[in-house]
Amino acid sequence: MTNKLLSIHELTKNIGSITPVKGISFELQRGSCTALLGPNGAGKTTTLRMLAGLIPQTRGEIRYGSGNAHTKDWRNRIGYLPQYPKFYSWMSGMEYLSFSAKLSGLSGREAVKRSRDVIEMVGLEQAAKRRISGYSGGMKQRLGIAQALVHEPELIMLDEPVSALDPIGRREVMDLLYRLRGEVTVLFSTHVLHDAEEICDDMVLMVDGEIAEKGSLSELRTKYRQPVLTIEVEPGEREIAWLDSLASRPYVHEIELGKRGAKLMVTDMAAARTALIKELADSGIELLRFEAGTSSLEDMFMKVVSS
Amino acid sequence: MDININWGLIWPIIALQAILAVTGFISLYKAEPASIRGSKWMWVFIILLGNILGSVAYFVAGRREA
Amino acid sequence: MKSFWIYYQKEMTEASRTYKWIWVPAIFLLLGIMQPVSTYYLPEILSMAGEVPPEAAALFTVPSAESVMASTLGQFNIIGLLVLVLAGMNTVAGERSTGTAELVLARSVSTIPMMTAKWAAMITLMVVSFALGLGGAAYYTYQLIGPLDWAAVTGGAGLYAVWLAWIVTLLLPLGAILRGPAAAFISLAVAGALSLLSSLLPSHVQWSPGRLGGMAAEQILGSGSISWSPILVAILIMAVSIIVAARLLRRSPLSPQS
Repeated sequence: MTNKLLSIHELTKNIGSITPVKGISFELQRGSCTALLGPNGAGKTTTLRMLAGLIPQTRGEIRYGSGNAHTKDWRNRIGYLPQYPKFYSWMSGMEYLSFSAKLSGLSGREAVKRSRDVIEMVGLEQAAKRRISGYSGGMKQRLGIAQALVHEPELIMLDEPVSALDPIGRREVMDLLYRLRGEVTVLFSTHVLHDAEEICDDMVLMVDGEIAEKGSLSELRTKYRQPVLTIEVEPGEREIAWLDSLASRPYVHEIELGKRGAKLMVTDMAAARTALIKELADSGIELLRFEAGTSSLEDMFMKVVSS
Repeated sequence: MDININWGLIWPIIALQAILAVTGFISLYKAEPASIRGSKWMWVFIILLGNILGSVAYFVAGRREA
Repeated sequence: MKSFWIYYQKEMTEASRTYKWIWVPAIFLLLGIMQPVSTYYLPEILSMAGEVPPEAAALFTVPSAESVMASTLGQFNIIGLLVLVLAGMNTVAGERSTGTAELVLARSVSTIPMMTAKWAAMITLMVVSFALGLGGAAYYTYQLIGPLDWAAVTGGAGLYAVWLAWIVTLLLPLGAILRGPAAAFISLAVAGALSLLSSLLPSHVQWSPGRLGGMAAEQILGSGSISWSPILVAILIMAVSIIVAARLLRRSPLSPQS
């Protein structure tokens, strides 16, 4: 049984001579929460704008639902929140929501009812009748989420929903997103791995317009859990030379050298530990720290992003 | 020399100018200071002294969009 | 059609919340009233100012009712048109520069209803303001100076409304690629250039919509006949402008600055 809500295939966007999105493919399962993760400039916003139908793709395919849905229908089934949502500041929050709902095809009465529901859901009922010009950043972001939800879409797409907010606003929005999980399919972009881990099950990691990694967070955590040995030594010529020589050991898979230490990705922790401790004792290297542990998703993220 | 002015026809001109100025003042009073270009007092003077054109200048250029 | 009404309602509410529905009609009414009043009281004003001897002022003859009405159109052509263009310059450009277009376009399949609604709202404001202004001018002229040929005034008013309409419509496509003030400047420049061209070379540009302003004044003065080609060209310009503006807005909903 497939329960695909959205699948994109070889999606590409050229803008002039640059190609911000280079043939990406992924799928969203109904009811899932997916983080589109990547550093700034990775092509996340361009991808979301294409998915929201704001800009046409240069190549590739976006398929919604089981496949033969027309582009026409989709817009009413998608809720979209841009990175910097801008509202008509002369409207009240309530007016903006029912204007949006009506544009998405709700009748006047339904629009008002749904607007009340979502304004309560995002906790803006006190400010519902005030002009948007007087809203704070966090309030505007919550209004943005409310407008993305007002027409009961199947999928909401949020572009960096928390990155412009102060810690309090960020907390409010993250809690709100956490509550939405399961009710609606969520795709949100962020450059912070921690945000993705906090509320999502799946992630798509984009770097330079391409997908560097994708899958469920638990799968990826297992995949990237590698035994790691951290060694720290007194800074000395002999010590540094020794650290350099570690790269050639058979059990060392990868090495990251620092000023006074090294991080070793090892293939066999038990063998590596025994051999290294023996070597340390024999050579009289002035050891400061010797630690056995595992690498995290964070390490993988940092590595992919900075390469 | 007799100046015979029909004030019944003149007062609407004064009333309209007053409406323009008062609308400008109400708009200024209600606006968030950040949404006004320059200071509110500057615009009060422009509307008062600039007459019709002062009011037009305020409505066209006085307020920032969004 | 339904989304047209949603947008139209939004545009009309926006215009009234930003006080456009007060200041634009008020200025047109003022312009309309002041023309006959200042013409009528010109001798008094001159003699009060003391710059003209009373005998010379007494020689001044009050112009005909028709010519007062025609010079009112001249007033509308300078300040009135400027006011309309300034009031309308951000209709499309503002949505792009402030970024409000992004959320709205994410919900609309076609931009035609939105653009048509923007046009209709601009034209509503223009027609009401112009009708008030010209109505005021006609009433004052009738009271102070003399009777008018109402059929000629109505005909001239219709022509003049088409003249104003096509110029403000230019703001839609221009606003979809430029910032508001630039769009305002170019639409005024186009209007001025076409108007100048048709007064310099009247026989070469029979069809030019730049003739409409002059034709309206001739109509009120009771001379000249209506030719249809400038009207048709103006209507064509409006239709094309709306479609082009809708296309352009779909292609680039955000101005580069935002």
